[in-house]
Amino acid sequence: MGLNTALKALRYVLKRDKDAKLLLENLSKQLDVRFSFQDTEQRWIWGDDILTGYSEQIHFEEMDLGTFYATSPTGKLVLETLQLLFRKEWEKKNIGKEVLGLYREINMIYGLSEMISETIDSKAIAEIALEEASQIIGITHGLFLMYDAEIDKVIEVSSLGDNPNRLTNLKAQNDLIKELILRGTAAIVPPERIPNNPAIKHLKSVMYAPLKVKHRNLGIMILGHQDPIDFTAAELKLLTTIALQSAAAIESAHLYEKGLKEAQEREEAIRKIHDVSQKFVPSKFITSLGKDKLTEVALGDLVEREVTVVFVDIRDFTTISETLNPTDNFLFVNGFNGRMGPFIRKNQGFIMQYLGDGFMALFPGGSQDALRASVEMQQALQSYNKERLKKNRLPVKVGIGMQSGNLIMGITGDVERLDAAIIADTVNTAARIEGLSKHFGNSILLTGVCKDNLTNPEEFEFRYLGPVKVKGKQKPIKLFECINGDLPKLYKHKLATKKTFEEGMDLYFNQDFAMAAVTFQRIFKRNDQDHTAKLFLNRSAHLITKELGDDWKGIELMTTK
Amino acid sequence: MDKKLLIVDDEAHIRMLIEQTLEDLEDEGVELLFAENGEQALEIIQEEKPNLVFLDVMMPKMNGMEVCQKVKKELNLNEVYIILLTAKGQEVDRQKGLEMGANKYMTKPFDPDEMLEIAEEILKD
Repeated sequence: MGLNTALKALRYVLKRDKDAKLLLENLSKQLDVRFSFQDTEQRWIWGDDILTGYSEQIHFEEMDLGTFYATSPTGKLVLETLQLLFRKEWEKKNIGKEVLGLYREINMIYGLSEMISETIDSKAIAEIALEEASQIIGITHGLFLMYDAEIDKVIEVSSLGDNPNRLTNLKAQNDLIKELILRGTAAIVPPERIPNNPAIKHLKSVMYAPLKVKHRNLGIMILGHQDPIDFTAAELKLLTTIALQSAAAIESAHLYEKGLKEAQEREEAIRKIHDVSQKFVPSKFITSLGKDKLTEVALGDLVEREVTVVFVDIRDFTTISETLNPTDNFLFVNGFNGRMGPFIRKNQGFIMQYLGDGFMALFPGGSQDALRASVEMQQALQSYNKERLKKNRLPVKVGIGMQSGNLIMGITGDVERLDAAIIADTVNTAARIEGLSKHFGNSILLTGVCKDNLTNPEEFEFRYLGPVKVKGKQKPIKLFECINGDLPKLYKHKLATKKTFEEGMDLYFNQDFAMAAVTFQRIFKRNDQDHTAKLFLNRSAHLITKELGDDWKGIELMTTK
Repeated sequence: MDKKLLIVDDEAHIRMLIEQTLEDLEDEGVELLFAENGEQALEIIQEEKPNLVFLDVMMPKMNGMEVCQKVKKELNLNEVYIILLTAKGQEVDRQKGLEMGANKYMTKPFDPDEMLEIAEEILKD
């Protein structure tokens, strides 16, 4: 505490402290002695002239404060009282200064913890800690080091002041500093030991404190001064506090980052699962059940919908697969499915199930979508086959059959194993129709119900193939062939002979089989790829010699699948 | 500068801190006055009409808010500049304090340098 504080305390007692002033005045009255006081700068603090009788230089802690004058030697009593009052005031001021100093520290630590708690970057925390430390503790140098156990290295996070060969020093000192970090204690380095340590030998005063969280030591904070300034225990305590605050902030920043990263990873994993599961269970199926996500679906969920079911089957799959090994077979099927899928989705359908040599697709939008998708698939195959032909590969032919009707979509299985399932007669019928397309030799075959449900039938061309009774069904089903998926030449032929074909069918149903046979023969002669015409030619020829009852309505009984 | 500054806080060490912080003002002729509760503060304010009051909010016997309201709304001593002091984390009081007529608002722990600067600025004219 300097001269200034002492003079202030003295001035306070003599000028502003009412009680002290009153006491001194009363005392001088009782002792019948006047007194005055002049400070070292010749300013009168009490009275205004030099009195004779008694005078004394006032010294305090080797400081000269001024001269006390009195009219008689009894003035010494006044002086002693003044000194007592002064000492009390001086002590009070000192305590006040000290408390204010501590308060500044608290304020700094408060500010520091507030600042670094908002920071999630270790480097920024280190910079703030060093900066605040340098403001409250007079330092010229500072190091904020952290120990990375994974690579067994001490890393400099931030530094303050110049160190000519800091990095090389740091490397050389790695083990020593690591040991210091792991020891986890705070200390003021004895000045005589500083030169032994190359990392700090450019400094005259050094102290350090650990960056500690619970029982883990993250690193160390080292503060130094280029001059010998003798760090105090209070300053070391302050450094320790700053270091602890910083360590806590870094730890929570790490935890925050870790938590954030984990949350992101979880989110990503869930998203991936969602993406993949969407491929296993089509999202259209889920949305049809009135749900947004697969996770919302539960066993027993079901919905009844009017849909069109389409079966797509690769013709003569065994012929193709015999030429391939199992892997190539798989690749072939995948290649095929990959080509067909887009046309299903493009027309608002989804693939319900892959069946090895084909697949089943559902079209909640109805038969218009289903038929358009079917025609597009057949046309896409035509160009695919041109490519295959160039590579001397067998062409791929598919048959497509479809039926529209009500269908129950739901989640079946048990608590451990769930699957999307559809239950409906419509599915069986659609499968049968696809089977019939093989028999009738069509690329696309549909039922009368399907055709009636078309919103825009003019988009396509059809041939009526009569009613059939499929296995397990009582009610006959009307069959129609859609010719738009045929090869261009065949399509043109069927279109040109459409009227003739209808005449043939009329003759056939009227049991004029001879004429019917002639008619179908005419058609078949124009294009031997018209297998349907050939079929009815054979049927008519076969029936010419048969005795048929009145109840014969031309319903073909199909026993095969 | 013949000004008066009143420090109101029920905690002795805070009064001492503020006194120490504003010590330099005394050299410039500012008289520092002290009160350790709301009632005392109100008496001194009426008697001495200080230019500036550092007023703690949380006090027994009439809190800072009430003192502020009495001075500003009832006694209409608008020339008394009142700075409310409150602990950090109780900033909700801020709006209320300003509604009560306080001129300024500071949080504890206060920054001593900032406090001295503010006091000097206010007592300047």
